[in-house]
Amino acid sequence: MNERYDLVIVGAGPAGLAAAIYAARARLETLVLDESVPGGQVKTTHKVSNYPGFPEDIKGTELAKAFAAQAERFGATIRRAVEITRHDLAAVVKTFELDEEETVEARAVVVATGAKPRELGVPGESRFRGRGISYCATCDGAYFEGKDIHVVGGGNSAVEESLFLTQFAKSVTIVHQFDHFQAEASSAEEALASPKIKVIWDSEPRAFSGETALRAVTIQNVKTQERSELATDGVFVFIGLVPRADLVKGIVPLNKWGYVETGEDMSTPVPGLYVAGDLRAKQFRQITTAVSDGTIAALAAQKYLKQQKAA
Amino acid sequence: MSEHVKEITAAEFNREVKEAGEPVVLDFYSTECPPCAALAPKFEAVAEQLAGKARFIKIFRQGSRELAMSLGVTGSPTLLFFDRHGREQGERMGGEEIKRSAIKAQVEALLAAE
Repeated sequence: MNERYDLVIVGAGPAGLAAAIYAARARLETLVLDESVPGGQVKTTHKVSNYPGFPEDIKGTELAKAFAAQAERFGATIRRAVEITRHDLAAVVKTFELDEEETVEARAVVVATGAKPRELGVPGESRFRGRGISYCATCDGAYFEGKDIHVVGGGNSAVEESLFLTQFAKSVTIVHQFDHFQAEASSAEEALASPKIKVIWDSEPRAFSGETALRAVTIQNVKTQERSELATDGVFVFIGLVPRADLVKGIVPLNKWGYVETGEDMSTPVPGLYVAGDLRAKQFRQITTAVSDGTIAALAAQKYLKQQKAA
Repeated sequence: MSEHVKEITAAEFNREVKEAGEPVVLDFYSTECPPCAALAPKFEAVAEQLAGKARFIKIFRQGSRELAMSLGVTGSPTLLFFDRHGREQGERMGGEEIKRSAIKAQVEALLAAE
């Protein structure tokens, strides 16, 4: 007999865990599935400064743990490092096969699988991934103690993680495609004032080269078209995100960028299936907006389950 | 940690990996590395499934800086696969998206190649 839950939430980031807190407090049998450990992108963010309730900065890992602990306190079950090997979300009773070993059933589902770091798509990138190219400063920053490194990007992640990397690296050179940062003014000013940070504006990487490990990045100025090869010990890439929509592809409508269009209540055309957080088509992707989505999805799912019972 | 996973130091690398005489999966990990924490249970599960056929070894990056550099490892977690002759084979795996099934498939490919 398969284990059956009222609500299965896929993705233990801020959206999924906010949904879990609300669902568990409403006494729904709630299961959260994650292929990693809880926290989503927050867990690899070195510090969070704009989440209300924390007047001092909080480490991303700590915020992630706090979200998970709060959901578990109210009775939500969080399954870590679990792989969904088959699934059927279109049916009334939705099913997930986990690690090819067991199947769980859900009367309603919130998909909050979020987004993952976008790759540059430049020659040499996959060859040097883990051999000099990284997408996670908290994981890999310490490998670059005393080194000269580059960061690609100019949004919040790029600028804030560059600041974090200055505690290890001898120098951090930011390569950005525009002539100004898209990051919040407070971080941008801090980066521009840092003696360890240099910025190369209007430029994009075109190729990576090296032997066993990365040695150089070729960049091109997008205004003058001039190319130059820069020696480097490592490159961190923070150029935005791509949605993780695999689970719902084919059963709910995606916009042209691959994000899921939902109703204001996070509903999809499939009854009992909700989408929340960064995976949703929306203008702003923040921890606060993810938490809002998760809250709404859980409340909407609760209403749906009540109506199902009454019917 | 599972009894099927052994942790070594850089000094033991030659004996435990290069001269193991059987396929080895080597996991470079760090502390304060959520993707490493996520990999651990998957690594242990595969180690259990393939116990006796291949060795599953972990090495702590912070204590193995020079070895990591000599192998060109600059990220955690990084999985390296060695055949029974101690030669590195196949693609390295890294980051948060390592799947249990992918680790198993790569070790099975090493075993089949012998």
